Amino acid sequence: MPDDLDLGEYGHHLVDELMARRLSRRDVLQRATVVGLGIPTISALLGSRAGAAGLRPAVSGAAPQPKAGGTLQVASDAPVAAVDPVTMYDGGSINVVQQVAEYLAWVNPDNTLRPVLASSWKPNAKGDVWTFQIRNGVKFSNGAPLSADDVVATFQRLVNPASGSSAATNFKGVLGVSGVQKTGEYEVTFALERPFVDFPYAVASTNYNAVVLPKSYDGDFAKSPVGTGPFVLTAYETGVSATFKRNPVYWDAPKPYLDGVTFTFFNPNAVPAQEAALQTGAVDVYQSAPSTGSPLWHDPNIALPTLPSSYYGEFWFRTDTPPWTDARVRQAVAYALDRPAIISNIFSGRATVGNDEVFAPAFPGSPVLPQRSQDIAKAKQLLAAAGLGRGFSATLTTEGPGIFSQYATLVQSYVAQIGIDLSLNVESTSTFYGSGSNQPWLTVPVGIVDWAARATPEQLYQSAYTTGGIWNSSKWADPTFDKLASEYEATVDQASRAALAKQLATVQQEATPAVIAWWKDAVYSIWKKVHNLEPNGSYFLDLTATWLE
Amino acid sequence: MRQYLAQRIALIPVTLFVVSLLTFILAQLVPGDVGRTILGPYATNSQVHALDQRLGYNLPVLQRYWHWATGFVSGNWGVSPVLQVPIRPLVMSRLGNSLLLAATAFVIVVPISVTLGVVAGVREGSRTDRAISLVGLALLGLPEFVGATVLIVVFGVTLAWLPVTAQAPPGSGLLTRLHYLVLPAIPLVFVLFGYISRTARSGTIETSNAQFLRTARLKGIPRRAVLTHHLLPNALLPTVTVIGFQVGYLIAGLTVIEELFNYPGLGQLLISSATDHDLPTLADITMLVAIIFLVANVLADASYALLNPRIRARRAR
Repeated sequence: MPDDLDLGEYGHHLVDELMARRLSRRDVLQRATVVGLGIPTISALLGSRAGAAGLRPAVSGAAPQPKAGGTLQVASDAPVAAVDPVTMYDGGSINVVQQVAEYLAWVNPDNTLRPVLASSWKPNAKGDVWTFQIRNGVKFSNGAPLSADDVVATFQRLVNPASGSSAATNFKGVLGVSGVQKTGEYEVTFALERPFVDFPYAVASTNYNAVVLPKSYDGDFAKSPVGTGPFVLTAYETGVSATFKRNPVYWDAPKPYLDGVTFTFFNPNAVPAQEAALQTGAVDVYQSAPSTGSPLWHDPNIALPTLPSSYYGEFWFRTDTPPWTDARVRQAVAYALDRPAIISNIFSGRATVGNDEVFAPAFPGSPVLPQRSQDIAKAKQLLAAAGLGRGFSATLTTEGPGIFSQYATLVQSYVAQIGIDLSLNVESTSTFYGSGSNQPWLTVPVGIVDWAARATPEQLYQSAYTTGGIWNSSKWADPTFDKLASEYEATVDQASRAALAKQLATVQQEATPAVIAWWKDAVYSIWKKVHNLEPNGSYFLDLTATWLE
Repeated sequence: MRQYLAQRIALIPVTLFVVSLLTFILAQLVPGDVGRTILGPYATNSQVHALDQRLGYNLPVLQRYWHWATGFVSGNWGVSPVLQVPIRPLVMSRLGNSLLLAATAFVIVVPISVTLGVVAGVREGSRTDRAISLVGLALLGLPEFVGATVLIVVFGVTLAWLPVTAQAPPGSGLLTRLHYLVLPAIPLVFVLFGYISRTARSGTIETSNAQFLRTARLKGIPRRAVLTHHLLPNALLPTVTVIGFQVGYLIAGLTVIEELFNYPGLGQLLISSATDHDLPTLADITMLVAIIFLVANVLADASYALLNPRIRARRAR
């Protein structure tokens, strides 16, 4: 196509930015993989040009040779409902599906994209048409070959709200059913409703429903769990266990290295049971950090791989409900919190301090604003300026038990210091999310809700902070922010993108529709005999390259 | 007595009707709905509403109740709207697990607590009696999760003698399954020991002071024979009833133990079906548990009648 983005030119642009030190090496790699420049291509560019400038690629030590064989035992959350890739939302179902089925691309821990069922992709110059090449020679576990038809059917299914998939929400205003087109036997084109520079993330693993299923998929995954993934589901007992065997016709041989995987399902709240199972070796993997005070923190057999992520607790204020309509009141609360103390208290230090804006440090290229820290005098001043120098009372609603109720208790003690008498209303998860007209997390004046990690800041602010965003708990509406946001999403040039990101972050921090005090690290607890198992910000489990000693 | 039992049995269907109706009505009070459980918090309200409609959850409660009740009675329990598996095999397999755990606990606790209870009763006021009573009381006051956690840490993690999960690997034989059940059964033994041994003790003391026993002793019947032929059959009557009452708890009330040992019993399924708005599954389990409770109680009464010489005698006349 004549108006395609010139990838060669774009690659050079990225390297220019690196050499001007406006982008880090990590940022360059991420941007390159998003527009479809493969890691080898960009590395070659980096090698030839950046190498001359003294910016050598990082050299990793010699990795041990993977060993084939063995069965990995995993403690997994029990799927909440019957497993269906199209509608799933819970960790247990996602775990099961991701062993069996695959995405066009996988989001690596450093937020770069790894091509999986797409061998490559590229945007047009405007960023509103994306063309994906589908990998040749891939077979589904039922023997049928993967083709563009399956990919088209998969995405048409997802963007259609009638499928019941919450992925439809992710595509709203970006992609419609007619925008998904087969343009070749192994080529699929996505014609977007607006330019979206980070579109590949929407068809990658962070949009977890987007696994490619056969065109004939009829909604009964339990009966015919067909996918292209590294493993095949051989037994499934509701609420008890799932057994997987190695997929002998996996396209990326010699992977997977494991002969099989067994999931033992646990109630997600049954923390002691899971920790005991890990400690005694009944399971090898537990997708969580040990609880506070657990001996697992010091167990010599256990590794705790850690990854900074964009998982956070949004502590929001309804900006349309007094006294929270006044930004100074919201800022006062922000200045009352001792963020490092919160992090050491709740996360044993495994989190990064937040700055009340969505550009998490885990996102490549995030702007750095002056860090907000505890300043009681300033907080009191702000309250006084807002006419609330004598303090007031309010109710904070959150879900519990768990880190959110712990966080709420700490918040309560901090805001008491500036005269806010905060009472806590801790609901069960199902009550907190609720249903129909009764959804506290979208309606109460003040609350704390968890946001799972995303690969890009757009995926956070689009739903949470733009005017009318579907999960905009604070009801914040700022035309400046909205305008900057759509510009950011349509901008390819890196320098302009960075400038826009900084403006977005500044506007949000100033308005403080929500306090973002921390970004939780993703920590997995695994036996040291398990190799090549990376923690994941979304708590996904990619076992394609995992092997056992 | 026969008339009394007949009355008790006749009341069972009435009780079950009330229980099932209450289950259906109370389940309406749980916040959220089935569509939200299946589609999750991020689905839109219209998506959730459409699914609720497809599953028939928009119909009036009584209509859904009738549909469920006729299915239950005819043995056609249907498919769980949430889990999408046939309910009857699911519930029966969980019931099987629960029964096995309950049986393991029973086999350990009944002989121990009855024996020690009788010993304490026979030697009322002795050091042995005081020791047994003290242990019984202490265990009675020990919450299940505390006892279970201590056992897990000591015998599972530190000494590594017994597995900490109760579910044996798929395809294990009965012996292996029992091996996995020893640790979870002990906290149940703790809870039941207090009840059963104290009842056995007080029954023994009461009977020892009875006239007929003094007569038997004065008649010169050997001590052992007095114990086995005269004392025990009378002293253990209340114990049988107490044991009968524990059956329901042992089968459906072990949520805490099931969670701590990750055991797929009836209790876990009961809780999850309630929180997930899986109403047919919830109602089926509730009915099953109610039936077990009622039958166990009737059986306890019946065995009381069979064991009680006075009642036997009355029948003989």
